[in-house]
Parts: sequence; C-alpha cells; structure tokens
Amino acid sequence: MKVPEKYYDEIFDFKGQWDMPSKCGLKSYELNGKQIIIVTELYQDNPGTSVTYAGTFLANQICEAKGYNVENVTYIECNPDTSSKLSFYDEEFFEVSFDIVDGQFANQPKYRQLSEEEIKEVIRL
Amino acid sequence: MKLKLIYPRWKKLPGQTTFNLPPHGPVVFAATLPEWVDVSFTDENVEDIDFDEPCDMVAISMMLSTQVKRGWAIADKYREKGLQVMFGGISTMLHAEETMLHADSVFLGESEGRMEAVMNDWKNGQLKKVYNFMGQMPDISLVGPARRDLYKRELYNHKGVPMVDLFHASRGCRFSCYPCAVSYLGSRCFRPRPIDKTIADLETIDNNRLFIVDNSLAQNKEWEMQLFKEMIPLKKKWISHTIEDDPQVLDLAAQAGAWYVYQAVYDTSNYIRERVKRYHDYGIGVEGTILLGLDNQTEDDIKRLIDFLLEIDLDLAEFTVLAPFPHTKAYDDLLRQGRIFDFDWDHYNAGQVVYHPKHMSAERLQELYEYAWKAFYKDETQEEKMFKLFSNVVLREMEDGTYRPRDRKLANKSFGKDVTRNIKK
Repeated sequence: MKVPEKYYDEIFDFKGQWDMPSKCGLKSYELNGKQIIIVTELYQDNPGTSVTYAGTFLANQICEAKGYNVENVTYIECNPDTSSKLSFYDEEFFEVSFDIVDGQFANQPKYRQLSEEEIKEVIRL
Repeated sequence: MKLKLIYPRWKKLPGQTTFNLPPHGPVVFAATLPEWVDVSFTDENVEDIDFDEPCDMVAISMMLSTQVKRGWAIADKYREKGLQVMFGGISTMLHAEETMLHADSVFLGESEGRMEAVMNDWKNGQLKKVYNFMGQMPDISLVGPARRDLYKRELYNHKGVPMVDLFHASRGCRFSCYPCAVSYLGSRCFRPRPIDKTIADLETIDNNRLFIVDNSLAQNKEWEMQLFKEMIPLKKKWISHTIEDDPQVLDLAAQAGAWYVYQAVYDTSNYIRERVKRYHDYGIGVEGTILLGLDNQTEDDIKRLIDFLLEIDLDLAEFTVLAPFPHTKAYDDLLRQGRIFDFDWDHYNAGQVVYHPKHMSAERLQELYEYAWKAFYKDETQEEKMFKLFSNVVLREMEDGTYRPRDRKLANKSFGKDVTRNIKK
C-alpha cells in the first residue's frame, strides 16, 4: 500500500502520540488568500500515529514548522488512493476545523468530507 | 518486595463456548521483573481477586478494550487502600490517557530490559507517572521464557483437559490492516525472535498443545521455514494465525505440528476456497475468522458470505462485527464521518455494534451477526465441531507418542468450578 508521490511535496516528520516518531505526506499552497494544507496518511510508511489520531497536535506542529498563521489556514486530511481492491482505501478528502485558542488550534477537530466539486476547486495534486 | 499482578475479567460474548486460556501478556511481563520482586498472579477470569492479600504494589495487565473499565475499577479500589498501581499491556497503550486517571504509573511499550529501572524508581519513592517507550522497541533477543510457573494450572482445565499454552515467536507486523491496531503498537515492523531462543523457550513449556499468538507467521518466509524445521523434533501441536500460502511452508508447518489456523475469510472468491483446501490437503484445520460490517458489505453480501462458508468445509467459524478500536484506520474513518455512536469500551467486544454501518442500520447488522452464528452452526454445534478438531489432535498425538490422558482428578471441574452434569437417574 504505497502512497503515490502525487499526494505530497514532502514527507513531514512529526511527534505523534507519546512522542512517537511519525510521518505524513504534506502539500501546502496558497489559494484565494488562504493557506491550504493537505496532510496525507502514509499507511505502511508511517511508523507512528495516524494523521487523524494526531489531529490537532499535528496541525499545530505543521503551522509552527512552516510559520503559518492558524487563522488563515484551511486544513485538509487526505486518505490517498492506494489502488487497493478494498473500497475503504479509496481517495477521500476531509476539511478539518478546529477551535483557536491563544493562536493555536485547540480541542477536538470537526470533519467535513469534501464533495467532488470542492475537490476540483481546492485540491491540486 | 511483593507485587500483585492482576489480569482483569471481561464479559464473555453470549451464546459462544467459553474457554479461558492462560493469558500470555502478564507472564511475559513478569519475566522481565528483577529477581528481588516476588510476584503473585491473579487472572480474574478464573478466580476472584483477594483485595486483602498483602502486597507492596499492584500491576494491572490489560489486553482487550473490554478489560479497561474493570481494570480502572480495580485500581481505584487499591488506590483507596493506599497502594500504588501501575498499568501495562496492549489496551493500556490504546487507552493510555484515560488509564492515567486511575493509575500511579502507566508503562507504554515493551518491558524487556526496562523493569529493573522502573522497580528501582518505585523502591526509591520515585515512580514516574508515565514510562513511555512507544516506538522504542527493545532488542527482540531479550525476550526470554515467560513466567508460566505463575499460572494456577488447575484453573485452565476443562474436565481434566488442559487448555493450550500461549506462545509467541515474533512481535509486530509489517502489514497495516484496516481494523487492526498492531501497526500502531509495533511501529509497522516485524521482529522475529532468534530461532534458537524460541526453541529453547518452547522446550520449557510442559504442555504439548500451544496457541502461537503471533499476528501472522506469514511475514518472513525464510525465518518461518527455519522455525518450523526446528520445531519438528518437539512434536508440539499448535494453533496459529495465517501461515504462508506456499506448498513447502505448509508441508513444514504440518510436520511441525500445525493443528489448525485462523484464516480471515473476507470474500467468496475461488482464492479463499482454494486457500482453505490447501490447508486441508496438508492436514491442517481451518477456523475462518469473518469480520462483518465493513463498508463494502451489503446485507446480501453478508448472507452470500455465510452460504459460502458452509460450502468451503471450514472446521470452525468465528464471526465478529467491526469494532473501531483506537489507533486503527477503522477508528479514524468512522470518527471523521461521525458514525461512532457508542464509546463505552465494555461494548468493544467485537460482538456488539457501536457504529452506523454504511449499508444497513446498526440493529440490522446486529441481527445479521446473530444470524451468522446460528446459520453456520445449525447442523453441528460449535462444541461438536470443536470436538472433531480435538479428536484429530488426539489421534496425531497417539501416533507420535505424545498423548497425555485427561487428568481424572479434574474430570468434574471446569476452569476451577464444579461441573454440573445432567445425568438422568
């Protein structure tokens, strides 16, 4: 279940739960004045915590590492298409929204799956 | 120093034959303790906890999500009495944050080479709230023989027949399957034990029947074949998860005493049919493990799957419904989609639906799960099918001279309790 490289521009190393060394695919670009961040689950190439479980923790690490203003970020989680025969490994994108407290993402995230139209509009692979 | 090691009870699934196997995790952990720690072990599934037994510290080992709430309750009781409680084990790692609320200390990761320092911390009054070794795997060759001397053997015996002993020849898994948390726990890395140490460990087990609990033996063909070759002279008979689908490997496995395997049956393909047949061709039985409620299953798919199971001559079948355990892709997906409606860990027993399935209601999936068990065992009960498998192993043991007759002294006991027999006078 190798994740195709089109889903990311770099591999982002992050501290997962209990500081476990973890990896995700990362792509970021500006669109209509917003900083779009797409984090992609790497499955077999991620030795630690999943991007979803790391959630708020991961989003803050990316913004801190890249110097992004959390007020201006659209954060998207991607389940990449791994050409698996199993339907639950199909490509999906979720917009993730967080509360913002003291200039950082906080609390449990909320998820909204992007429609095909939104994917065409927002996602650049 | 006296350490009381406890394995909390959990509620068994209704309608299924209950067998209490001697738990593996606690005795593997106990083997990593320094010699100056005197351990007593209580498996609450087969005996009550004596909360008044004198001890200096309590350790609670948890494997299943359905154990955690009971584990927390036990800890609360001991902490009220002023004793310090430490948690470890697989479900401690999966439910660590919540467990910390009930613990003086949680140990995350594998304990080989680490308990001397932890117990010294305790002795010096400096026990840490968290010992975090997640992702830092110890040298696999440090895994030594488990402390099976801690078992009260008569409690793992059904009418004079001892239960299988659990054993592991490797840790971790290179696969990352949808419903499984092992990839999180083991850093997606397969770590086979050195063959010589594995065999030496096996030789210490005074039980001819084993359950090799490794996640999957089919991960490194060379190691797997070498392991089976070395196991042949031991004449053990064993159950395991999947074995490599290769004639050479299957032949060696059979010679090494493969009794039956757990094989996931996920569709009605000829591949599955042939896979089951190949095991049988080598005299290896097959217990199908069937996971119901995945997003690619409709009601019709599930019914077709059950019909298929009856056609392919499985020796046993075990049905489960998807349980979205933390740190699995199933959990991530269902959480994001807002489909998990029940976060009571007591219900995460793989027999109770805790989420909204894609193609049916939760209630309908629950009904289909019940239907699957009934339909598969309609003509021959689970106990009858188990008896057939059991007879196979007895015959093989008689052939190779390893058969041990049942212990007549325990003929009227089942897991330590008196057997009530319905004998007409």
